[in-house]
Amino acid sequence: MIYDIRHVTTYEYENPVSFARCTLRLEPRSGGGQELISHDLEIHPRPAERNVRRDFFGTLTESVVIEAAHRNLRIDSHSRVSVSRQPPARDASSPPWESIRDIAFEATSLGPSSPVGYVFASPLVPVLRPVSAYAGMSFPPGAGILAGAVDLMRRIRGEFRYDPKATVISTPLDEVFDKRHGVCQDFAHVMIAGLRGLGLPAAYVSGYLRTIPPPGQPRLQGADATHAWVSLWCGAELGWVDLDPTNDLLIGNDHIMLAMGRDFSDVSPVDGIIVGSPKQKLSVAVDVLQVE
Amino acid sequence: MGEGAAEDNDQAGRAQAQQRIAQWVRDYSRLPGIPDEFLGPGGAPRAVWSRFFDAFGALAPDEIERRFGMADRHLREAGVTYRAPGDSADRPWSISHLPLLIDEADWQQLCAGITQRAELLERVLRDIYGEGRLVAEGALPAAAIAGSPEYLRPVCGVPPPGGRYLSLYAADVGRGPDGRWWVLGDRTQAPSGAGYALENRLVLSRAFSDLYKSMNVPRVAPFFEAFRDSLRARADRDEPRIGVLTPGSFSETYFEHATLARYLGFLLVEGDDLAVSDNRVHIRTVAGLKRLDVLLRRVDSNSLDPLELDASSRLGVPGLIDVLRKDGVVIANMPGSGVLEARALLGFLPALSRRLLGEDLKMPHIATWWCGQRAARDEVLARLDEVAIEGAYRRGVPGFDSSGPALASELDASGRRRLIDAINARGMDYVGQEVVRLSTMPVWEHGQLTPRPFVLRVFAAATPDGWAIMPGGFCRIAEQPDARAVSMGDGARAADVWVVSDKQVPTATLLPATDKVRIRRIAGVLPSRAADNLFWLGRYLERAEATLRLVRALGSPSGPNKGTAASVQSAERIQRLLVAWGAVSQTSRTAPGRIVAEALQSPDRFGSALSLVRAAQRTATSLRERLSPDAWQVITEMAERLAYEVEDDDSVLSAAELTLQELASFAGLAQENMNRAAGWRFLDIGRRTERAINTTRFTRQFAYDEAGDEDLDILLTLVDCQITYRSRYLLAPILAPVRDLAVLDGYNPRSVAFQVTTLNEHIAALPSLKEHGLIEKPQRLAVAMQAMLATAEAEKLEVKTLFALEQDLLSLADAIGQHYFPHGPNASRPEKLTGLA
Repeated sequence: MIYDIRHVTTYEYENPVSFARCTLRLEPRSGGGQELISHDLEIHPRPAERNVRRDFFGTLTESVVIEAAHRNLRIDSHSRVSVSRQPPARDASSPPWESIRDIAFEATSLGPSSPVGYVFASPLVPVLRPVSAYAGMSFPPGAGILAGAVDLMRRIRGEFRYDPKATVISTPLDEVFDKRHGVCQDFAHVMIAGLRGLGLPAAYVSGYLRTIPPPGQPRLQGADATHAWVSLWCGAELGWVDLDPTNDLLIGNDHIMLAMGRDFSDVSPVDGIIVGSPKQKLSVAVDVLQVE
Repeated sequence: MGEGAAEDNDQAGRAQAQQRIAQWVRDYSRLPGIPDEFLGPGGAPRAVWSRFFDAFGALAPDEIERRFGMADRHLREAGVTYRAPGDSADRPWSISHLPLLIDEADWQQLCAGITQRAELLERVLRDIYGEGRLVAEGALPAAAIAGSPEYLRPVCGVPPPGGRYLSLYAADVGRGPDGRWWVLGDRTQAPSGAGYALENRLVLSRAFSDLYKSMNVPRVAPFFEAFRDSLRARADRDEPRIGVLTPGSFSETYFEHATLARYLGFLLVEGDDLAVSDNRVHIRTVAGLKRLDVLLRRVDSNSLDPLELDASSRLGVPGLIDVLRKDGVVIANMPGSGVLEARALLGFLPALSRRLLGEDLKMPHIATWWCGQRAARDEVLARLDEVAIEGAYRRGVPGFDSSGPALASELDASGRRRLIDAINARGMDYVGQEVVRLSTMPVWEHGQLTPRPFVLRVFAAATPDGWAIMPGGFCRIAEQPDARAVSMGDGARAADVWVVSDKQVPTATLLPATDKVRIRRIAGVLPSRAADNLFWLGRYLERAEATLRLVRALGSPSGPNKGTAASVQSAERIQRLLVAWGAVSQTSRTAPGRIVAEALQSPDRFGSALSLVRAAQRTATSLRERLSPDAWQVITEMAERLAYEVEDDDSVLSAAELTLQELASFAGLAQENMNRAAGWRFLDIGRRTERAINTTRFTRQFAYDEAGDEDLDILLTLVDCQITYRSRYLLAPILAPVRDLAVLDGYNPRSVAFQVTTLNEHIAALPSLKEHGLIEKPQRLAVAMQAMLATAEAEKLEVKTLFALEQDLLSLADAIGQHYFPHGPNASRPEKLTGLA
């Protein structure tokens, strides 16, 4: 399946901004059942400096500096990605979760795909006892890791309320957990916190959902913005398995991955600082169209 | 007295000294089963301590107290302070009056151990952030590193500019039961304490200068010189600009940052002072952006760059890590070095030493079992009552509230259960550590010696000739006999550390006999923030002076409180002024008796003399590295005096009088002692601007068109011109001459014209920022005012002209702020872009 993705980020400032330094992570990655065909980024006003590098997690990261005074910043990203992946069945058999914990932990690599980097607390995901205990209910001794994770995902989807107005980026995880509401990002963070609390390697994935569902299927939650979900390492054989707690799905061909990291702070698509205007209005538009 | 008698006296003195020492030894109750520095196993003093106490004991008891008092006074006067986490004000530094003595042979062994360890850690860092062979080949578990919040992914694969990870390393050591020195922990991030060690040495070597000399104690100055020179050498140009990056004056150890900056001749900078452009770091100065080559950081790695690290940090510099990638700045220590402070790593170091250095570790460290590995975890759980449980990666036990280690033996049944469950669930977050009994050293309490546990921090600096070790170090003494509780924040005392040699210490150093601070001129540029603070320091002090003069005029027996109709009106005018600038509340005007006291010392009125002096003190805190200890002391004394509640009008007046004298002495110090670099100018600009504004306002209020004798007389007092006026006119005050003297007379150092002329001189001497050749706004305003004042005639001066002048002066103050410190408190700072894109 081939998708055209348009991701437009616009900032409007109350006062002119004289300087901006931004970090952009907007190029979808290849691998994990998808291939990047093309990517194109337009920035207005035009930056004075552009630097491209791959960050620790392998994400293409562009640092830009804008020195022209401006009241509007527009970042327009076009990508074409082909997706072909076959998720495991929800009830597929998998190794006992305790064994995964031990194997993940013994990894001899610090690289971005080594599970050992994803078992510890990270900037936005603390390990909290109540969250670990909540997750633990889905993982009785000896349970298959996939069965446990699917059950946890199902419970989060069932017990948490999707509410785009309830949280902002800075809402701490314990508050999201106590109030049982939030958006895709919060659901992913809660699920990751629970899995890590049990010693399991869980990563954060940012990405997109197709805007118009295939005929006869419901529109998924989070399709008009960037989306986020969880990737869980399930042993050498299954590898990283992606689970979307917002929609209670193992991801297939409707999801397009953008970047992977320990939590949102590692993958934030547009980040930066500006000088000149404390008041700003952000709007994000995402369109994901199937071309083939 | 014959010679024989003198000898008898000496002998009597020695006998007394021996008695005293014997008494101290008898009363010294060693802790059972714990080795002691002072007394050997047999109960006799060790050689170095004997030498020390032979001389010390010869001092009469009151002489000892006098010298201890001298040390304390020095600390207080120098304003040595620290903050514990959560403190809102600085705490005075507390020093034990006896040094820790270490025999030179013993010290050499310690040095060898520290040198080896520093080298090992440097190599481990190089591997972790570079090739990664230790992990790939199984010598180091990946999880022991990945779990540390100090493992900085953005710098993986980035070679450290300047070629090293560690520039300054410190180890906390203690003497174990076997008599050897043990490492308790490594400090690789941004070791603190070296500056305090310097202060401790300064204090003790002064209080006991003869004793200090006789003990052949090597000086610490050469260590700091070597450290400074090696940082300079690491930059990629000659005469590099070096900054000490501090989190700011609320930091626990801000005093130390200022001390180091001043001592080493570096700039003290905060994140907001720095800007990134053209792949370099620059400092914002009153002369524009200036390149900074090296940062000695006292900000933790994760706070260094809000774009790549902790996004909520306000302490860093956006884009700093990118500059590091481009090899554009040397940061000491390299961000990410703190990963080696993780206790999880301790157990692997002996094998790493054999592997990387080909030798065994010379110095043992405290036995540590990382519960991330099954065998170690089982061992810890089996011996739970004998070990202390600590966080594997940072201080504090995850899931438990205590900031220190958890002892299973001190937990109740449910706490114990919880600890065991936590270790079983996520063992990698915990280590078990042997509970060590460290040796004790003597402290002086109530005229006798008492043993206390201590921890010694030893510092090593990387130099081109290898590691240089500071002879001495930073010693902290526990208040309780539990050596694990030692942290400065827990209220522990510090002690100086003397390495004692049999041989004469080489005196090749330029330094005088005591370890005196070698004063340097502050580095050539003036950061905008420092200029801003100096400007406000000048303004606050000048406004405090004006308030005190109003208080004095109102409260003085010859002042307007005499009950005639005119006096009542004059008093009203003064009161209105005090209300207008927030020295007293509107409602207090109904209780005239309290007004003077309120204006003097109400902590609730932002315009009271006390509040203004405190504001000056806060501002001065951020300027510590630029103010002389004398200047600092004057400000501290004023704040203390004004805070001391006074009862009657007489005491109010005398407090006001004394404070005015101190303000004069501060002005004198600034005038006579500050070098005439840009910093002095900004202090003086602040003072002159404020004085011009106040004098204009006073003139408007008291030399109005119909002003009578009494009001004119008050004005002459307020602007300190009584004597000048009387010597010139021999008359009762008359409007035009009084106005002339207060506003226009360029020969009168208190007149507005004099202030404006001086302001013009300062502004002309400051660097110009614009290139288009046009006159800049501060200068335009100041020149126009000077012309107006030079040509005005006192007889024709109108109140509305005075009012316009006052407005122009206020505009000038704003223009100076916007022009020279655009990044001051009111300026626009970098804002984060809203997330969730």
